[in-house]
Amino acid sequence: ILSYSVFFSTSVCKESTAVFAANGIDITPRKDQGVFKVVKRQGLDGDRPMIGDKVTVHYTGKLLTGKKFDCSWERKEPFCFNVGKGQVLKAWDIGVLSMQRGEVCTLLCKPDYAYGPTGNPDKIPPNSLVVFEMELLNFEGEILTADGGIMRRIKVKGEGYSNPNDGASVDVHLEGRCGDRLFDCRDVGFIVGQGEDKGIPLGVDRAMDKMQRGECCLLYLKPKYGFGNEGKPEYKVGPDKDIVYEVTLKNFKRAKESWEMDLNEKLDLVSGVKTKGNQYFKAGRHHQAVIQYQRIISWLELECGTGMEQHKKIQDYVLTAHLNLALCFLRLKEFSQAVDNCNKVIEHDESNEKALYRRGEARLLRNEYSLAMADFQKVLEVNPLNRAARAQLSSCQSKMKEHQEQEKKIYANMFQKFAERDSKVCKLTKRRKDESMRSGMNGEVGIKRRRRSQDCPS
Amino acid sequence: MLKVQIGTNLCGKYFLISTACYGVNYTRHLFIQRETPEEDLKPEDYQQFRDVGAACLSGGDGQQLLKFIQDEKNQVTSLILDGRLTLDESRAASVGLALSALHKQLSRLPVPYTQQQEEADEHGLCCCCVALATFTRPFVDGVKKKDENCNPTPEDDELKAEILKFCMLSLKEPLLEAELNRDRKSTLWLFAVEIMIILSAIRESLPGLLFFSSLRKFTTMDTDLSKESAACLAYLLFVQLIAMDTFPAVFNPVFILQCNMEHINQLLSRYAISKLQALFAKSLEKVEDNSLPVGVLDLESFYSAPQVRYTTKLESGLKVFQLFINKLDAEAKHKFFRCMLKTSHHAGVEGYIVNNIRSQIQSTIKGEANKWFLGTELLLLLELVLSLPQAAETDLLTNMDKIMESLNLLRYLLTRDKELKSDADVWEELCRIKDEYLKMLRVCISMSRAYYSAEMKALKEERKLKQARSTRLLKTITVKHDKVSHMSPEVQYQVLQSALVTFDLMESLVVRIDEITEEKQGKPH
Repeated sequence: ILSYSVFFSTSVCKESTAVFAANGIDITPRKDQGVFKVVKRQGLDGDRPMIGDKVTVHYTGKLLTGKKFDCSWERKEPFCFNVGKGQVLKAWDIGVLSMQRGEVCTLLCKPDYAYGPTGNPDKIPPNSLVVFEMELLNFEGEILTADGGIMRRIKVKGEGYSNPNDGASVDVHLEGRCGDRLFDCRDVGFIVGQGEDKGIPLGVDRAMDKMQRGECCLLYLKPKYGFGNEGKPEYKVGPDKDIVYEVTLKNFKRAKESWEMDLNEKLDLVSGVKTKGNQYFKAGRHHQAVIQYQRIISWLELECGTGMEQHKKIQDYVLTAHLNLALCFLRLKEFSQAVDNCNKVIEHDESNEKALYRRGEARLLRNEYSLAMADFQKVLEVNPLNRAARAQLSSCQSKMKEHQEQEKKIYANMFQKFAERDSKVCKLTKRRKDESMRSGMNGEVGIKRRRRSQDCPS
Repeated sequence: MLKVQIGTNLCGKYFLISTACYGVNYTRHLFIQRETPEEDLKPEDYQQFRDVGAACLSGGDGQQLLKFIQDEKNQVTSLILDGRLTLDESRAASVGLALSALHKQLSRLPVPYTQQQEEADEHGLCCCCVALATFTRPFVDGVKKKDENCNPTPEDDELKAEILKFCMLSLKEPLLEAELNRDRKSTLWLFAVEIMIILSAIRESLPGLLFFSSLRKFTTMDTDLSKESAACLAYLLFVQLIAMDTFPAVFNPVFILQCNMEHINQLLSRYAISKLQALFAKSLEKVEDNSLPVGVLDLESFYSAPQVRYTTKLESGLKVFQLFINKLDAEAKHKFFRCMLKTSHHAGVEGYIVNNIRSQIQSTIKGEANKWFLGTELLLLLELVLSLPQAAETDLLTNMDKIMESLNLLRYLLTRDKELKSDADVWEELCRIKDEYLKMLRVCISMSRAYYSAEMKALKEERKLKQARSTRLLKTITVKHDKVSHMSPEVQYQVLQSALVTFDLMESLVVRIDEITEEKQGKPH
């Protein structure tokens, strides 16, 4: 293994490259000598990162001249990315996948696998060979949702650039496990967003739009995205269990984009979507209901229709969808989304009783008491007989009172402290007065004084 | 509840900060001499100052407090706020509250948009920015020191979160609206640099904020704020190149473009048109031509945002638009053109797209074989190009750009009939589409011409009447599109005249196309 000091101190590029090539391994799939790797320090023997994994590395990038153009160590910040997904240079996607945890290696990269004919202004000339020293600090599965409920590890990479969208028809092979026990094994076709109809957990359904044709991956699902607090008795899976699904996306056909559809086409299909959404809501499947209602909005919110009647029909669908979404989000405890949807309705119709009421509910649950009260009061203006609103109003008032009591306590303490401090300082000031005068910076005589008002708290 | 006054006494030697609390009937006065040496201040003083400071903020006098800190370069403040205090409540939370309150004051000030305005700083925004940055520095330094000594606590993490929130707030206001120019390092520019420095000091990863934030839940702010601020951050980094030299150089330009599309849409929703154009252009720069496949970009975002209208309004917008089109591969171009023709409802854009289609067909015929601009796929496009949105009642004037370009395209296609006829079915269908289009167009032209001629005649009559009875007021002519109703008769006449000329021009193109068709039919195969 060649030592680096020797390597970088020579300025004869061709020689160095040849030496590097002689000692390194060509790790390109096509064996076109695009990326050579020399292992400097072996890593922990064990597994290697899988495609899509979140990897953490430290690296230094240098030109063959030895000039450094990028270094994560200097930033004191390890670099994270999802490997094998085209987020970084090609050489990196290949290189890091070949590393083990703790490994340190050097990659010699031809321009095709690095910065190409463009280079990188200021730092890297066109068609440059570059060298990276890499350390793989860690790797872990790819998190697909903000709440970390779905983690994916790709076993076989898929191909192509499109993914199934909501409404797409997909053909998959599934294997569901709880611990080591296989409870579900089948080939099945379903519509993305409606996996529920075929007993497909929410997590698998939601992961579809991140999968490529031919991909085989493992999905680690938290209960929220699995069988929840109900469990699934027919599979003998208890409540609140983590499950793992191996999913192979054999084939799929995307649903038409909204803009590809005719307005008439959309209007034909929309009542079916609404019914589907309502079915899911009744069954307590709020996530699934949300998907259907959001579809209505994405299809129709930018459509105007021809003539008053069609325009009104479209508007009714959209506003109803927003109201239903607000209700779903209330159940899902996503209060700001609930408020957003209510706002959309209220923008069009300030006296919409349902929207105002639901917004009031959401605001109350966010402890925005005065705003909630305003909403409920408006509801009562629109419909004085709304008992529920009256009840909510008094609930607001009592909660607000509670809150105010707490605040009073805090302020009361503050003034007590002021008073205590004042008495201390009075003594201090008295002492100071007896001190002699001091000279200031420029030979001036300055008198430092702190005077406190003699008013005391009542 | 708390009323605060800050003022200087006559000889300017002391600051009086008084707080009066109604209801409790309690007044405190605090005199602080300028340049009070540190040793002479006691912990109680710090506590007092902090309380008074908090009172200032809650009383809405944050600006005054900022001025105090800024004007006097008062060391007292920095010392007081450097962490010697032991506070009852969470320090991080109170720092957060202070920063939020101060920023709120700042956000009320109007943002200057010319160099002169910025230098004059009439409303004090620039001044306040500097003061605010100064105020934050001791906290940031404290956190940084703790990090270096490798013993950060959860409290420190909370403080970092509060400082991050402050940075994000500042990115949103005023930096998102500010005119920044790296050749002229103005106060607001320096403030932007300061924010970047703070982000680095609190170990906030820029790639994390810009590219990977969708998977992150911010504890101190909602997603709307983080999205808008991240958009501004993308602009500062990629266009103004602030902190670019330490940004990782290993990202794939296509990935950067994908991530920046989200930020570009945010900038659009804030009407920051020149910023979004600059960010868009910069993101496209490093992408290879003809390389972006159809699935890489979410065309939905082009459909749902009216950004096409905005991006093409200015000449620079058209440039960026074309730059974008050039980066798409053939299939992506095909899909994008279909999307735009269906959804833009803007004749200028449509005309531009039709022109692009012609170039694509041209290069396909010249040898860069691809199925998307020949054969059945081409027909999908032509159906959209060779159509009138309201059939015979289409307004030819508003749709002029598109119609003229479509006629040019037709004329071009006919001259290349040899290449296109290789697929007989496709050619037959093409001819059918063409014939229907031209038929409809002829009807539309003659209807429009008749209507406008009638209007011109009526206008001439009015003029004659006017000359005869000059005291009578001229009635406004109700012309189809209300365009002429508010203009003077002379201008109205000119408008009508030029409309008729346009119809003549369109018709002559149609006639020419018919001639070519006949010529071609006459020729032996």
